[in-house]
Amino acid sequence: MIRLGLRLTLGSGREAALRVLVTAAAVALGVGLLLAALAGVNGLHAQTDRGVWLETSLQPSPPTSASGLWWLPSTDQFESQAIDRVDVAAAGTNAPVPPGIAHLPGPGEYYASRALTRLIASQPANELRDRFPGRQIGTIGAAALPSPNSLIIVIGHTARQLSQAPGAVEVGAIQRTLANCYHCQNPIGSGPVLQWVLAGGALFLLLPVLILIATASRLSAVRREQRFAAMRLVGATPRQISVVSAVEAVVAALAGVAVGFALFFVFRPLLYHVPFTGAPFAQGDLSLGWIDIVLAVLGVSIAAVVSARLALRRVQISPLGVNRRALSRPPRIVRTIPLLAGIAVLAYFDAHGKPGSNGGQVLELLVGIVLLVVGLVLAGPWITAAGSRLMVKRASRPATLLAGRRLLDNPKAAFRFISGLVVALFIASALIGALSSITVASSPGGGSAGADTLAEPFCSFSTPNCPASAQVPSVPGQVLAELHATPGVRGVTLVHQSPSQESFRGPFGNSFGVVACDQLAKTPAIGTCAPGATMASVGYFLSNVLGHNSHASSMVWPTVDLSVASAARLPVDAVVVATTGSSSVIERVRTTLERVFPFQGTPIAVDAADPSNARLLTMIQDMTDVMIVASLIIAACSLAVNIVAGLGERKRPFSLLRLTGVPTALLHRVVALESALPLFLVAAVSIVVGLVSAALYLHSQVGIAFRIPGIGYWVTVLGGLAASLAVIASTFPIINRITGPEVARNA
Amino acid sequence: MNTVNGRAAVQTDGAILEARNLALSFGETPALCGASFSVRRGEIVAVMGPSGSGKSTLLHCLAGILVPDSGEVFFDGERLDTMREQERSRLRRDHFGFVFQFGQLVPELTAEENVALPLLLGGTRREEALRSSRTWFERLQLDGLERHRAGEMSGGQAQRVALARGLVAHPDVLFADEPTGSLDSLTGELVMGLMTDSAHAEGTTVVLVTHEPRVAAYADREVIVRDGKVTSAERVLR
Repeated sequence: MIRLGLRLTLGSGREAALRVLVTAAAVALGVGLLLAALAGVNGLHAQTDRGVWLETSLQPSPPTSASGLWWLPSTDQFESQAIDRVDVAAAGTNAPVPPGIAHLPGPGEYYASRALTRLIASQPANELRDRFPGRQIGTIGAAALPSPNSLIIVIGHTARQLSQAPGAVEVGAIQRTLANCYHCQNPIGSGPVLQWVLAGGALFLLLPVLILIATASRLSAVRREQRFAAMRLVGATPRQISVVSAVEAVVAALAGVAVGFALFFVFRPLLYHVPFTGAPFAQGDLSLGWIDIVLAVLGVSIAAVVSARLALRRVQISPLGVNRRALSRPPRIVRTIPLLAGIAVLAYFDAHGKPGSNGGQVLELLVGIVLLVVGLVLAGPWITAAGSRLMVKRASRPATLLAGRRLLDNPKAAFRFISGLVVALFIASALIGALSSITVASSPGGGSAGADTLAEPFCSFSTPNCPASAQVPSVPGQVLAELHATPGVRGVTLVHQSPSQESFRGPFGNSFGVVACDQLAKTPAIGTCAPGATMASVGYFLSNVLGHNSHASSMVWPTVDLSVASAARLPVDAVVVATTGSSSVIERVRTTLERVFPFQGTPIAVDAADPSNARLLTMIQDMTDVMIVASLIIAACSLAVNIVAGLGERKRPFSLLRLTGVPTALLHRVVALESALPLFLVAAVSIVVGLVSAALYLHSQVGIAFRIPGIGYWVTVLGGLAASLAVIASTFPIINRITGPEVARNA
Repeated sequence: MNTVNGRAAVQTDGAILEARNLALSFGETPALCGASFSVRRGEIVAVMGPSGSGKSTLLHCLAGILVPDSGEVFFDGERLDTMREQERSRLRRDHFGFVFQFGQLVPELTAEENVALPLLLGGTRREEALRSSRTWFERLQLDGLERHRAGEMSGGQAQRVALARGLVAHPDVLFADEPTGSLDSLTGELVMGLMTDSAHAEGTTVVLVTHEPRVAAYADREVIVRDGKVTSAERVLR
């Protein structure tokens, strides 16, 4: 029977061969996209694995007397680029050496990545080079760089020097595997959050790809079923029909898999330009493991057979013909219950406050998301049916009537091919809705001055347990003079520790500081004094560093009864420098402050988020954009395949309509409407549900007001939907061809 | 002077539809070899002939579905074979009706929507089109089937719905290609009776392609097509 199946598949003339070819082409497209997604996941893993050493201090292994290594990671910034900086010092004779370098840099030496070396060479020394003490003794090898353009520097110190630095830890080994801990996103953006986004993204991309493959394997189902009916007439058993059907599906699927692999390898060089994480991949990152290959070959073949089997179950093939027009029960409103329950769960926690424990919060999120995803998939056919019912009711034109009736006839089938897109759009909308709100909330609203003003919060300000040795008793006069003398600097404000520390602690443990009003007047991005005041007590104006929005520029800080001279004798909590906003001035100020206060972190713009958090947000945003675009492309392919399959089934009625004088433009409108209605309707529902769930979650869990995503998101979504319409329009020539008069004669 | 699609008509001896010396081949296979034919307004003509004789091809040329390789087709005095596809489509929609052997109903639409379709295509409002459509259900003994779909009707019922659809827009000519081919003789008789009665009542010209003498007997006149030519002398049946 298998041999007969092969003979029928391969040797039944042009039409059969064409059917296999078309199915194989669609499967190839799906396989190509599937392999691209798998390679993308592998690429991200490769990037993460190469950067894992930067996380050495997150879960430090205890040092022995010989293997001790002092380790201080930080994220520096140059313009909009993040620089990973690691200060190291050997504490023992056998201190571990990070990957990519031959030996530890000694005091006054450093290694830099090739991209950072180039950047340093291209900039004036007082804007970048001077931040890094000592001389460069080599470049960091590719094995230690997440991406070829990673900016990384490893700087050597003496153990005595580094052990005094706030935040430095002594480790016994370099981290080789990804840390598994809460808040492990620093310093390179890898960690659980990105892993979850990655896994979720891959899963939600896989779904539309599988739907595309399943749709493709059902192409020309009508002809095939008619042939099966003829075989039943001459005595073939249902089981034999199943075998023949499976053979045909496997042949087409295997041909598609082969072409899909070829497509992947041909277009792989272009994939290196896709900004999955904003950082380009290194050569060899986008590779496939043998598990990926086995998964693609076996998985797709099995999916094709299962799909063909399911397709056969939907029809009754008897010796007298094919019976398929039994009307399926219309989807009922109960299908919307899980979706409403998902929204209700998030709304409940929004109204009653978030669960107390971290576990409870994660559970709430998981339950809500699962209910919403399942709910959307279940409610989709009902929404499609409701929309088409309305369309039929209001139809005054034949195209609307025909399309509406067709959709109403089988809303489940109409929805099936876009269900993957629906899930992807929901996830993407929720993610981008949350990300854009967090991004907006992270900027303290300092106006344009906020971007032009740099703040260097010292350890005593930003860390509750800052060791006394790390406190800054004063800022040397020549440093202040250098800052003031820098062209483009408008003012320098020193924030001194409050005289009574304990009574002035803010909600995050950070202290309130005091400032001289004449200085504050020159740095308006962090607020102003009351009229006539000489000293003011400033609140947590830099607390955006801690993830909180303070809107400092609009603050009028309370007056403090303290003389300027007394305040000047107090330790310094932070230095704030207002500039003209030119990047050259900002980088020069940053370099001066880092040079003078090497272990106190990186000065950041008042309205900027923490550089490593900003990088994580950007990476997730980039991945989400890729996910939206990829899922829209896959959905468009499914759409095209589905339209072609649907046209095959309706060749005769369409050609007869055309024969009776129906213009082809009307048939185009019918096809466009019946594809676009579920697509647009359910996409709109997914987007709304995604944004609403993001709003509820942000409000209840993070306490952040929801913001509608920016123009980029809408351009991506609308561009994708427009591309889907273009794909629909691309099938119009097929309609013209297969509904010609000769079809009506021969069908 | 009569006009079709805004063109001036020429004299065709009172025939509403006339074919002169038509020839058409499908690849190397000739289907029509100098066929000539004409039909007067309100007349029912049966085109008879064995399978493969070219009778359906003749009907398709007369209806403007196919364009002959040579020869001329006139509708109401206007050259039809030289019209552009768009004009021929409009002509078919506005002046012709069709009934075929099977599979002509749009499966997703209800019976009344199928019948109303030509009116909707002509721009009639939906309520009005459905109202006109329903009047045909009583006339063609289809009461109660308005909301049924193609898959829920018998062959005879579906064929009567197709007949109603062919006549609902009051066409000048109804083309029927083996309209009883898939029906039993009793149902076939019922359909033919209703078709001819309705056509006479509406003053519609009918070109009926069939190979069954019993069906042809319902026509006013009969012509025979053999080897791509109208070979026999016309025989008046009524």
